Amino acid sequence: MTGELVEVTVDRPAAGTPAPAAKPPLWQRFLRGAPPYLYLTPAIVLLVVWTYRPLAQTFQLSFHSWNLLPTSPVTEVGFANYERLLDTPDLGAALWRTVVVILGMLPFTLVIPVLVGLLSRRVRGRVGAAYRAMVFAPMLVAPVAGAAVWQWLLDPTGGVVDKVIGSPINWLHEAGPAQIAIIVITGWHIVGFAVLVVSAGLTGINPDYSAAAEVDGASRAQVTRWITLPLLSPTMAFLVLMTVLLSAQWTFPLIDTLTQGGPVGATTNIYYLLWDYGFHSYDAGLGAAAGVLFFVGFVVLAAGLVLVSDRLSTHDD
Amino acid sequence: MSRIQLEGLTRRFGSVTAVDDIWLDVADGEFLVLLGPSGCGKSTLLRMIAGLLPPTGGRVLLDDTDITHTPPRQRDLAMVFQSYALYPHLSVARNIGFPLRARRLPKATAQAKIADVAAVLDLTELLDRKPKELSGGQRQRVALGRALVRDPGAFLMDEPLSNLDAKLRSSTRAEISALHQRLAATVVYVTHDQVEAMTMATRIVLLDKGKLEQVGTPEQVYDEPASTFVAGFLGSPPMNLVPASLAPADGRTRARGTDIDLLLPFATELPARPVVLGVRPEHLVLTTPEDAGIRGVVRAVENLGSEEVAHCLVGDDRLCLRGPRPLGLRAGDPVHLRAAPEHLHLFDPDSGRRLAWQPTPVATSA
Ligand SMILES: Nc1ncnc2c1ncn2[C@@H]1O[C@H](COP(=O)(O)OP(=O)(O)OP(=O)(O)O)[C@@H](O)[C@H]1O
Ligand SMILES: [Mg+2]
Repeated sequence: MTGELVEVTVDRPAAGTPAPAAKPPLWQRFLRGAPPYLYLTPAIVLLVVWTYRPLAQTFQLSFHSWNLLPTSPVTEVGFANYERLLDTPDLGAALWRTVVVILGMLPFTLVIPVLVGLLSRRVRGRVGAAYRAMVFAPMLVAPVAGAAVWQWLLDPTGGVVDKVIGSPINWLHEAGPAQIAIIVITGWHIVGFAVLVVSAGLTGINPDYSAAAEVDGASRAQVTRWITLPLLSPTMAFLVLMTVLLSAQWTFPLIDTLTQGGPVGATTNIYYLLWDYGFHSYDAGLGAAAGVLFFVGFVVLAAGLVLVSDRLSTHDD
Repeated sequence: MSRIQLEGLTRRFGSVTAVDDIWLDVADGEFLVLLGPSGCGKSTLLRMIAGLLPPTGGRVLLDDTDITHTPPRQRDLAMVFQSYALYPHLSVARNIGFPLRARRLPKATAQAKIADVAAVLDLTELLDRKPKELSGGQRQRVALGRALVRDPGAFLMDEPLSNLDAKLRSSTRAEISALHQRLAATVVYVTHDQVEAMTMATRIVLLDKGKLEQVGTPEQVYDEPASTFVAGFLGSPPMNLVPASLAPADGRTRARGTDIDLLLPFATELPARPVVLGVRPEHLVLTTPEDAGIRGVVRAVENLGSEEVAHCLVGDDRLCLRGPRPLGLRAGDPVHLRAAPEHLHLFDPDSGRRLAWQPTPVATSA
């Protein structure tokens, strides 16, 4: 008998490349691909009508001069509005006050909520729910109604606040105190919401991590510092983003009802300035130019912050 | 090194009793394996030992000190979590080094230890990765590394090998066994893999629905299962269990059932009573029709590689027979089997407990 040793090979039908996979016809692929876009359409229509169109109009208006009267003419002025805006010292001052408001808000939107969230983690069940409802309550009070009550509390002649601290500060009519009052009242309003956000963030962290850390010998403070806070950082980044982008807006109703930007402009932040240009001075072009500048500024800021928070939140699966 | 004692440990979740009155004494240096089906309370028991879950009742003692209410960090135990619980924001190296960092070990010493453990677990290449960039088995090895990097009083391991492939599993198994011998450490090890339990354990604890079914060496639990649950849980395929009744005959006792008539090892006539008869698949032997104690029909034959398993129908009961390949059986064939008397087990049909021979005037009681 003759023969030879051959290697055992894996069976593979025919040599060469496989035929291309069957593709459904074009119209069928189109029908399958269309639904997601159809679902998006209503939202996009609303955004265009209510956000993008006004934005474009604002942009257009910023190159014109107009006093908001339908009968008066709209004249084209080129970059004159922007030049006027950058020439006045108002803008720089308002910008600085906005920064102060944002920094002043951070304790209320970040520091206090994180502390409260960490400390109240072990309050569970009905007590926990009641506690959170209490913290959240101010959020449900309309800003203008809240402002009325605070005006009364801060009254220099017989207001409760002055009685308690025992010194006659005219809160809403002295430059420094007015700014502080605006920040604290806005903070009082928003802190409950921030506490809820932090609680939600903490609930989302798998309790096994802190359990493992405890077994590994970490003290409670170490678990907080090394495990809980890093895992909470996406939530904290979100809160910082909200604070930076929205603080000035949150203060607006309070400024309008309590100080009208005063005394001597001490509480005029950029949004109030913008509103002041447009609806007190009836200088629509200047207001629009300010609006465009702030919009661009915030877009850049938001993009930067989102980038940072994306980097922070690359963990937890 | 530590001795762990559990005294009547109980844990209830609402109406569910996850762990039910467990008494255990884990000696210093022992490798105790908790074995049981899914949901029998293994993890719950381990978490109570670790101090992560307060017991509803009972005590945990570590070296004769009551630690039932001691926080986990003061217990000096290392635990491998079933869910791994790797810190998602830390690299593999920092995950493994976490217990050392918490103990404020000097950086250089810690680095050396991390490198050692990583080398043993084949993780050296992965030290800079984040947990989510790892496969399931790699994550599991990191979880194991985080426990092995320390020198704790005892190791608690919750299915630490469940996600590894067969080769890695057997090498890591050997690694853990070697480590256990080298450190003489106490290990409480949870698994539902019998091979792990049989090969690693100095003693096996079988749990069912939170209750302790049997504690014993691997030989004891395999050779003398204390209940039908243990008999039906260990072995693959597990022990055959069929209803039968005792029948005295010529100074001996026989177990009789439908198409079953086997001689029992007792050299005496025991009174008739119903029993559950148990015999392991590997103890059934093919024989001639005249010599057969069991007659049935083959329903299916499974090929395990080196061995074959034949599923037979005897009366209304299914019986498995396991032997070297080929068995020479095909589906539909009639089959004739016998089993040596010393390989037969008896259980009470109601309680499921083992019936053991007691050489005193009154026999049979468990
Ligand atoms: N936090 C809890 N709340 C309610 N029931 C629970 C809780 N934890 C566990 N149980 C129940 O307790 C029982 C035992 O659970 P345990 O996690 O200890 O099982 P196990 O033996 O580890 O199972 P597996 O092998 O699947 O991991 C199960 O019935 C489970 O549903
Ligand atoms: Mg488990």
